[in-house]
Amino acid sequence: MKGTIGRIRKAGAALAVATMIAVTGCSLNESGDSTSGSGSTDGSGEQAGGATLRIGTTTDMENFNPLQSLSKTDSWILNATYPTLLRIDENAQKVPELAEEYTTEADGSVVVFHLRDDFEWSDGTPVTAKDVAFTAQAIMDYQLGNVAAKLTWVTGIEVRDDQTVAFTLSEPYAPFAEGLGFWMRIVPEHIFSQAGDLSQFANDTDWVGAGAYILDSATKGQRYTLKANENYPYAPEGGAAVETVEYVVYPDINTMILALRNGDIDLMGSPVPVSAVASLEGEENIEVETVGSLGFAHLTYNMQNPVLADQAVRQALSMVVDSKSIIETILQGDGQEMVGPISPVFADYDNTDLEAYPFDPEGARALLEGAGYTDANGDGILDDLAFEMVCDQSNANLTRVAEVVRDDAAEAGIQIDLACIERNTFLSRTRGGEYDIDLSQWGVFDNPMDQLRSTYLSSNPGGINYNLVADPELDALVNDAAVTADVDQFVEKIKGIDAYVHDQALLTPLYVENFRFAYRGDRFTGFDPSPSDLLGMVTGYSLSQVTTVD
Amino acid sequence: MLRYAASRLFRAILTIWIAVTVTFFLLRLLPADPTLLVVEGDMTPEMQDALRSQYGLDQPILQQYVLYLGQLVQGNLGVSFRQLVPVSELLLNRLPWTLLLAGSAFVLTLLIGIPLGVKAAVGRGGTVDRGVQFFGITSNALFIPSVAILLLVVFGSNLGWFPIGQAIDPDTRGLAAYASLLHHLALPLFSLVLVQLGPYALTLRTNMVEVLGEDYITSARSRGLTHRRVVWRHALRNAVLPALMLMGLQLGTLIGGAVLTETVFAYPGVGRLIFESVQQLDFPVLQGAFVILAVTVVLANLLTDLLSMVLNPRIRT
Repeated sequence: MKGTIGRIRKAGAALAVATMIAVTGCSLNESGDSTSGSGSTDGSGEQAGGATLRIGTTTDMENFNPLQSLSKTDSWILNATYPTLLRIDENAQKVPELAEEYTTEADGSVVVFHLRDDFEWSDGTPVTAKDVAFTAQAIMDYQLGNVAAKLTWVTGIEVRDDQTVAFTLSEPYAPFAEGLGFWMRIVPEHIFSQAGDLSQFANDTDWVGAGAYILDSATKGQRYTLKANENYPYAPEGGAAVETVEYVVYPDINTMILALRNGDIDLMGSPVPVSAVASLEGEENIEVETVGSLGFAHLTYNMQNPVLADQAVRQALSMVVDSKSIIETILQGDGQEMVGPISPVFADYDNTDLEAYPFDPEGARALLEGAGYTDANGDGILDDLAFEMVCDQSNANLTRVAEVVRDDAAEAGIQIDLACIERNTFLSRTRGGEYDIDLSQWGVFDNPMDQLRSTYLSSNPGGINYNLVADPELDALVNDAAVTADVDQFVEKIKGIDAYVHDQALLTPLYVENFRFAYRGDRFTGFDPSPSDLLGMVTGYSLSQVTTVD
Repeated sequence: MLRYAASRLFRAILTIWIAVTVTFFLLRLLPADPTLLVVEGDMTPEMQDALRSQYGLDQPILQQYVLYLGQLVQGNLGVSFRQLVPVSELLLNRLPWTLLLAGSAFVLTLLIGIPLGVKAAVGRGGTVDRGVQFFGITSNALFIPSVAILLLVVFGSNLGWFPIGQAIDPDTRGLAAYASLLHHLALPLFSLVLVQLGPYALTLRTNMVEVLGEDYITSARSRGLTHRRVVWRHALRNAVLPALMLMGLQLGTLIGGAVLTETVFAYPGVGRLIFESVQQLDFPVLQGAFVILAVTVVLANLLTDLLSMVLNPRIRT
């Protein structure tokens, strides 16, 4: 008998062998843990000459159903696979994609999309107006994702011919076409109508798309492969240089940066953290591209708090926020200042004549004292002026902003208690109105009208009126603008609301952050990015324009 | 002996039930709502209600619990909130990777830790002993993500010996696939073993030192048995018992370590699935993953219990 050690060694070896067998099942990389699309050559890994671009992402794919709301990775992959009617270009303008143009009838209460005739599903079926109508109807029937809210006004959908589809609205809504055109991914009717309950449809194999790149195979937790769509009408002459796009999952951003440096990936789909920009810019093989944002960071005041309901208090708070130095120090210069609630990204609604609140803590204190606030106990803090500010702990920039604002506010005699908390708890608290001041960042507003409706209407249709403001005058302004069909009048009305909200100081905008995306400049060039980290470098259109560097 | 085994088994089932129950209620006590994450921004209250009922979160919590237990007994782990596929499918996809990583870390720790602990105890005060003591204490204080990033920078990026993250190159076939698997396994395995090994060797050393001072060892020596036989046969047998127990208990930490390791190394295991599901508040996936982990830890402890029964004649009778 060899004794204990022998036994343990044997047991160990047995365990090791058992785990190896458990892992491999039958044989590696050939088992059923990946699902493939119909046109797949089953992962031979060989391309017919086209380049493979590998993109890093921090999250795994969750949901393959393009009708539902999706995580960023889901959106990147499915936005490339399923076409939208319109897309957003580098200047945040809506431009044609599947729809050549849209027109309105009956004073704006009928919106007609005119489709291109050269889009084709990857199984050879043409993309027609029927697919558009089917998609919209399905979203309304099942109330799917955020697009359901864009379809609120729709009372009827009419397919006039293969290239024409008309939406009848209960009342004219100026940005209807843009909102729907940008957000709604069109799905093939001949596939999805066979899928049963679309709210439960996983759509996790055999994808049929019509976008620039079509999902071809998925190995969960590891890799997602897309193949170029030869029929994509916006690809350059002779087809896209990038034939295969691979998404590789790196949950940790630092690991992803190393992978880029090492050449394991060619592009980071997620923005580079501010702290890592300088070191990546110094790398010879790596290019860093700056892309604008469709959202912005802000302080939003809870109007249900009786003290914050006082306009003077909100204006004073706006005077303790030093957005210039916040941009300089925390964003290291990579951001734009904002004045009113409309981002400068939307150049049509130019609000440069609005005057920003100056950074002036002493002036703020004087304003508050003039409004009757006193410091009875002499502790330097004005009585009643103590607020809790909530923020999302996972946003490193905002947690730093929180500290700066707290310290500056104290100078003006305002006490701010910070509650920078775990993201899910934060979302739940803001949703429930449990805060005095909400320090957060809007992700994507594709047009100002939708933003103003969602954030300021007292009926709170999108659930994101974080001011919890119920101001009949503001309601009237927003509702009036929404039904204005004349473009010039519409712009003037939006600018009017911008000025009104600014004067009311319902929010203090902080900055429009620039995103920095890093890629292997020694291999690829020619990305055509769109603003925001939702679109960024990885839209199907952008990828189709990329060329290889020899 | 049978009674001993039966009581251990009963305790194992009880432990799993407690783990399942605690997980269930803990998740629902979170001050966050999974439906809020589905649609960021534009979500009507109707849509939120519809999602709640789809998730079954609109029912009273006790009813949800009974329903869940009923499903669980039938081996049904439910359907993921976010991915719309059965949880068991997701777990089966990820489990082999975690088994490979944590399993080989477990085995390696034993294989290196035992001789190291014994050598340190026998040559008390010597170089090996001092090394083990130093290493035991420092590696206990190591933070896996920092170690992992350091390893990636040095051996992956600078030296280029190992790949940066991932578990395998999906384009490899046959033997090359196995090579790729091992190549990718090296760094995550090393970082897990690094943090496990020190404390393990140190504990074994302490036990061993104690045992070596016992009367029966002295008597064994006086009977003229070889040094080798005394140490490896008589002393280790008794010293390894507590160390084995410790390893069973440490399995929990090992799995906790796997969550971090898998996340940094982009390893597609259950640990990373947990990390992702926490962010998404995907209750069914989290519940399922914790059930699997609880079962694994309990089984391992059951196994060590039974193993110590074999090794320890006092329990056997």
